[in-house]
Amino acid sequence: MGRLIDLDGLARFSAGSRVFATGAAESSFNLAVDWARSVLGHGVELLAAGEPEPDTLCVAVSLVGSTTALGEQLPFGDEPERAVRALERRLGERAGAVVALNLAAENALIPLVAAARLGVPLVDGDGSGRVFPLLEQTTYALGGLSPAPVALAGGSGEVVLLETAADRVEELLRPVVLALGGWAVAACYPMAARDLAQAVVPGTVSLLMRAGEPGVARSVAAPYGVRALCRGRILAVEGSTGHGTDLALPSLPSSIVLRESEGLRRLVRLEAHNEIVLALADGAVVATVPDLICMVSTADEMVVDVDKAEPGLEVDIMVVRAAPVWHTARGLALGGPRAFGIPL
Amino acid sequence: MILGVALRIQEPSDEPSEAPVLVTVTGGVPSWPVARATARTASRACVALDLTGARTAAVAAIRVGGPCAPALRPVVGSGVATIVRGGHSVTGRRLAPLDTEAVRRFAAACGLADFAVTATGSPMLTEHELAVAAIIAAEVPDARITLSYEFGHPGLREREANAIRNAALGPEAGRIADEVARELPGVPAYFARSGSGLVSAHYFRRFPLACDLGATASGERGRAELGEAGRKAPDGVAAAYGAALAEPEAQVERIVQARGRAELERVLQDARDEALTRVVSAGAAPGSARIAETTVNPLSYLPDGLYRVRVTAGGRPWAG
Repeated sequence: MGRLIDLDGLARFSAGSRVFATGAAESSFNLAVDWARSVLGHGVELLAAGEPEPDTLCVAVSLVGSTTALGEQLPFGDEPERAVRALERRLGERAGAVVALNLAAENALIPLVAAARLGVPLVDGDGSGRVFPLLEQTTYALGGLSPAPVALAGGSGEVVLLETAADRVEELLRPVVLALGGWAVAACYPMAARDLAQAVVPGTVSLLMRAGEPGVARSVAAPYGVRALCRGRILAVEGSTGHGTDLALPSLPSSIVLRESEGLRRLVRLEAHNEIVLALADGAVVATVPDLICMVSTADEMVVDVDKAEPGLEVDIMVVRAAPVWHTARGLALGGPRAFGIPL
Repeated sequence: MILGVALRIQEPSDEPSEAPVLVTVTGGVPSWPVARATARTASRACVALDLTGARTAAVAAIRVGGPCAPALRPVVGSGVATIVRGGHSVTGRRLAPLDTEAVRRFAAACGLADFAVTATGSPMLTEHELAVAAIIAAEVPDARITLSYEFGHPGLREREANAIRNAALGPEAGRIADEVARELPGVPAYFARSGSGLVSAHYFRRFPLACDLGATASGERGRAELGEAGRKAPDGVAAAYGAALAEPEAQVERIVQARGRAELERVLQDARDEALTRVVSAGAAPGSARIAETTVNPLSYLPDGLYRVRVTAGGRPWAG
């Protein structure tokens, strides 16, 4: 039997979605919470991945692009349903459930908005267990599913449908998202519930709802384990100033250099391509993708966005172990260091 | 001799009204109580106050952008708001031409004089906010206009909320600045900022939001500087002392686009120049204005060359 995500559930879910979320601009997160609250009505039904009828069409919904852009150019409000409806028109079939691509901040809430507006259940799980920059970096892809066709809905009423081989989705998607103003809502990975059940990281929605309860330990949001790498003060943030290309993605790399506050006082270097992909301590590799590396401010215990890292800030570096499927050979090929151009 | 003043906003329930706390500072050493005649001989007065609970005016809010989800519309309390077509994306693309006629109609009909203007994309391109301001000024000659880009913060709703609160505080800030000028004739007045630093009375009248939590910030500073004695000093004394120790400060926050290092250096120089101009307007002696900090962060998931830039400038007060 399904359970309802009501206003109280939304409060816990939204708090839980930020426990380890990077890239969550305050502004876009706040608007996603207000947006979700305004459309929730009596609540959204939450179903375990195995619960829908096996033939039910399930659709993954996510924000794509920049949270800064979303916080600046506000949604019209119908983007999630507009994207799903466009995909339904292409497939000639109604979606019976919505699922998240990942559950980081607004990416957790926009599928909830979609489910509420469409009047369908949300599946308890996601396609990542963390967050990766590319639409194809999901456990759905590892399960042999294609992100395409992808329907994109922009904030000015636009709908764009991409139909292509799985490995060209990103290449086509990025310039379109930029043309839409820097963000869009994507409906993608159309799949039967039986296929979803094989590929999803299960139970993560209810997990985050537990993690978002007041006073619950941060580690609850990390079902596969979490370790504290070190505590340090940021010394420098270095941004590359571009390579002369317009649409390179992942977007430009940056480096964050910290000095460990205690113990060995190691020099810690974090390499970021939108997300932090590598951590070095005195030159030795201490953490890499697919595990999630994040900075948590010691002042307010919030995750610090790579965009917001600045000298003087003291942070704990936490490493959240990725779902087991990411540590298989195929998982590492898709979401490991080499996928980010790091030959490790 | 510098005069520190801790003011408390009078709320209707306050009986009787509280006198301001005065502290003089000579060579960094605080002294209180202070006679009124002595206060009037100060080289400058630095006022610390929190604007929490201050009287607010009804604001006419104009947002420039597309239609949005009802839950995300402007929040104006007792004022009025409209959304007009226009604005830019963060990548600098014009979303729509500015609906100048809609701005004109709203400005003429709203019946209010305190305006807050927030355009989509203004941290990147300010032109639509400036254009709206020109239209308002033409329609409502005595209008007081806050433009959201002055607060820089990316995130339309937060910037808009800042602009609306700034506009709402305007009349009360003017009244407070008048009162300080009346009480301390001929003494140049500064007001403590929320984070750190001071601004001139002139700047405070235009941007009272910068001083929203001036007494809280000054109190912390003052208490820290007083050391052991700070623990025994009353809140007002700590705030007055903290304000007297502060110097003018101003910030500029922008989203900029630059290809390559040379162009980035150029746009950073523009932002620095603006911060220097602003800190002089905030009461720094022109020769003393300097850049205290420049922060540059590339924006994730956007094309190469888009950065969030924040520049802080400081300087010595021109007075005293």
